[in-house]
Amino acid sequence: MLEQQPDIFALIPQRPPIMMIDTVIDASDNHIVTQLTIQEDNIFVENNIFHEAGIIEHIAQSAAAFAGWQTYNSGQPPRIGYIGEIKNCHIHALPKQSHQLQTHLQLMAQAGDVSLVQTQTTANGHIIADCQMKISLKAQ
Amino acid sequence: MNKQELIAKVNAVLAEEFEVDEAIITPEANIKQTLELDSLSLVDMVALIDNEFAVKIPTTELSKLQTFEALYNYLEEKTNA
Repeated sequence: MLEQQPDIFALIPQRPPIMMIDTVIDASDNHIVTQLTIQEDNIFVENNIFHEAGIIEHIAQSAAAFAGWQTYNSGQPPRIGYIGEIKNCHIHALPKQSHQLQTHLQLMAQAGDVSLVQTQTTANGHIIADCQMKISLKAQ
Repeated sequence: MNKQELIAKVNAVLAEEFEVDEAIITPEANIKQTLELDSLSLVDMVALIDNEFAVKIPTTELSKLQTFEALYNYLEEKTNA
């Protein structure tokens, strides 16, 4: 667990109402753990259900936060990370309003400015999604 | 694993992953051109090498591995270390 949570606004370019991460609760050079509590007014909530697009957006923003963290943590201005590829993405269940999402992202490999990451997302402790993504860092 | 076995395994796993004819993988051939790797698919090769040979190729070393010969030598050194 991080002693001091980073300013999420400094890690990702998204802003409300499209922000799908509340906090980064843990991070290192090769992983990050993000959290989102699904509020009633979340734009991806319909009939009390948080839909697939919201889950994907939450995972994508977790990947962006990881890209931001890698430079933020070293004291440099955060670099913007783009999703280069999504594959082997499985959504097992849809969470409900008030559920707490946590995404654990693990770095699998890196080549230049491109990272291959594996993610697993839980809702109130139950696994609801897993995914593989490539993140490409924008050139400085 | 001796060097010939290592070369055979490298060629087999790369040919299968990147769907190329194993015969075009020669020691002097350029890796990126032969496997048709772009900046996004290059990371797949790094992940594959890690999975198959338990060798992590740092980005700083990756740029030096232009040919298959260089890759074989790098893996031989790391797997015998």
